[in-house]
Amino acid sequence: MSIRLDNIHFTYFEDRKDLLPGFCAEFSRSEITILTGASGCGKSTLLYLAAGIYPHGAGFLKEGTIRVEGQDPGALTPPKRCTLVGMMFQNPELQFCMDTVENELIFCLENICMDPAEMDRVIDEALAFCDISHLKERTLLSLSGGERQKVMLACLVALRPKWLLLDEPFANIDDASARMIAAKLKKLNRQYGMGILAVDHRLDNWLETADTIRVMEDGVLRPEVMTPGTLDPAVLESLGVIVPGQSYGAEILPAKEGKTVLTLEHLSVHHKDEPILTDVSASFKAGRIYAIVGPSGCGKSTLFGALSGLFRYKGKALLEGKELRKLGKADFGKIGFVTQNPQDQFVADTVRDEIMVGLKDKETAMEVSEQILRSIKLWRYRDISPYMLSQGQQRRLGVAALMAYDCHMLVCDEPTYAQDRRNTKAIMDGLCLQARDRQVALLFSTHDRQLALDYADEIWELREGSLYVFHQSGD
Amino acid sequence: MCSINPAIKFISLLAVTFFLAYRFDPVLNFAVFLISVAAMLLSGVRLKKLCLYMIPVLIVAVGMFFTGYRFSADHSMPVTTADFLISDSRWWNGLAQAGRVLAYAGLGYLFALTTDRIFLIRSFKDQFHLPQIFVYGLLAAWGIVPHMMQEYKRTKAAFRARGLSVVPVSPALLKPLLVKSVRWSEELAIAMESKGFSGHEKRTDYAPVHIQIKDILFLIVCAAFLFAVALLR
Repeated sequence: MSIRLDNIHFTYFEDRKDLLPGFCAEFSRSEITILTGASGCGKSTLLYLAAGIYPHGAGFLKEGTIRVEGQDPGALTPPKRCTLVGMMFQNPELQFCMDTVENELIFCLENICMDPAEMDRVIDEALAFCDISHLKERTLLSLSGGERQKVMLACLVALRPKWLLLDEPFANIDDASARMIAAKLKKLNRQYGMGILAVDHRLDNWLETADTIRVMEDGVLRPEVMTPGTLDPAVLESLGVIVPGQSYGAEILPAKEGKTVLTLEHLSVHHKDEPILTDVSASFKAGRIYAIVGPSGCGKSTLFGALSGLFRYKGKALLEGKELRKLGKADFGKIGFVTQNPQDQFVADTVRDEIMVGLKDKETAMEVSEQILRSIKLWRYRDISPYMLSQGQQRRLGVAALMAYDCHMLVCDEPTYAQDRRNTKAIMDGLCLQARDRQVALLFSTHDRQLALDYADEIWELREGSLYVFHQSGD
Repeated sequence: MCSINPAIKFISLLAVTFFLAYRFDPVLNFAVFLISVAAMLLSGVRLKKLCLYMIPVLIVAVGMFFTGYRFSADHSMPVTTADFLISDSRWWNGLAQAGRVLAYAGLGYLFALTTDRIFLIRSFKDQFHLPQIFVYGLLAAWGIVPHMMQEYKRTKAAFRARGLSVVPVSPALLKPLLVKSVRWSEELAIAMESKGFSGHEKRTDYAPVHIQIKDILFLIVCAAFLFAVALLR
């Protein structure tokens, strides 16, 4: 009744050192176990090994054995494996291959050779269990990130695996959806005996659900066995884990308020015929830091998409008095965007060129780019493609590249998405320092209220299609 | 038309398409086009949508009309009326070329706008016995298309945010898309496998697609149309 990993030596590249250098652990099926640790410590890799996806999907298992309920998951065929271990991934956009919720569930059940006469009942039960019966006929494309994760959970409920492995399942959804899913997971564990092993940087959504919290460091399991009631903040903080309720210790200078950079007046955005933003009015001043919070699907990314020209909007969006959609070439770049996925903003072939693109003074560009790359510790990677960097490195490069450009407003969509505490703090400190130093208006969205409270001068909440002031520093 | 078996519809309309390729008859071309439009409207395709889709087709049709009008089989041309694909009447020739574009577009739209993609793939699987790895791979790839469109816009916005303007199909724009599509396909393949799909194992079928009487009737009507045209014209 457990997942047992003995002396696991695993690496992605044969000529490099092992990412998991002799990992040993046993996780009990009767408990909900959360595995946490800094980015790159091997948590997700471990999960993929337990799910039987690695090593045949990637990497080399040099030594060691993996047993889930006494069976080697890698040796099973996918239909058999998915009834032993189910997996929920971080990115809710790339988990489906059919068009509607119902068809996706049918696809899952066909794979395990379920009798078609049984399927309707199983599908209805799974949807009801996840409280998404109303989404049955909806297309997956029309769902928000939180709704898609619930659909994924419904697929797993229908498949009924003995173990459920979750790789940062709440990275891109709001706290309310995360807590709802966490409660369902608890029910699956207690009521159906489904073992749950989840990997997460953030523990706050697991506090009411988890039985055991284990920490990984450099590919091995630390000896501490914690529970939500016995968390050791010192250990967690030293290992880069986001500690629930604990401040990030933001190091930012006081604001020197400048002129208004961006003004939004009665801005509205429709997707097809559905209103996403109905009446957004706000103004953003140079040198100040603004956070936007709100549940998933409330329109944060839509608002940023409208500002970046991805979506059409009605109303006014004035950048230093000029309508955003009518900006000429000379004004391109006055408003910079840091996207959720750093790969979305790369424009050059090498890491150095990525920085140099933004530097106007070509004579000093070489020197300045070297300074910037050294400061973000990427100088040694200057001649490789940005796509070859790790996720954390890509994020640092993305932020630095934008800051190298002389923008007046910087819009960041979830800049700390799926980052550990150390990276989150480094990214936010860097962004806020630059915003203050260069009098840039910084606007960022986040699901992490603590992050917003620590770093923003003003917090706005997006709900029912409008922006409301939620908190101002000094309140 | 929406409920006709897609595999049968595909074979029937393909047969009509091949038949038209060997006919030089503007009346027949326009008749096929009008029948296709009528069938689409009766199947619930919105007129506005159809009109929008017809804009590029009409532009090509007008272009083909003038091509046919200009290059008819007069004395200056290296072809004669013996060549059945060309006439010595400028108008007739222009209309035949334009009608051909309209007829092909009409048949193409008739198939595309009245066929559900899941129904189509399932029907190909059941009637043509396509391998399931191909069938579900195709469906998954289809799901990525809207992401690709979004990513294209996103990449363009990224260039704009850095003060760079790029032409629509610039390699600089397409490179990130290529990298991402490889990453997506890997993630998607892992997700499909983790839901029990292997491509080789036996699966059950929730709603197998069968050939029904109305499908056979549709095939017969199309065949009868072709015979009638062949005999009468």
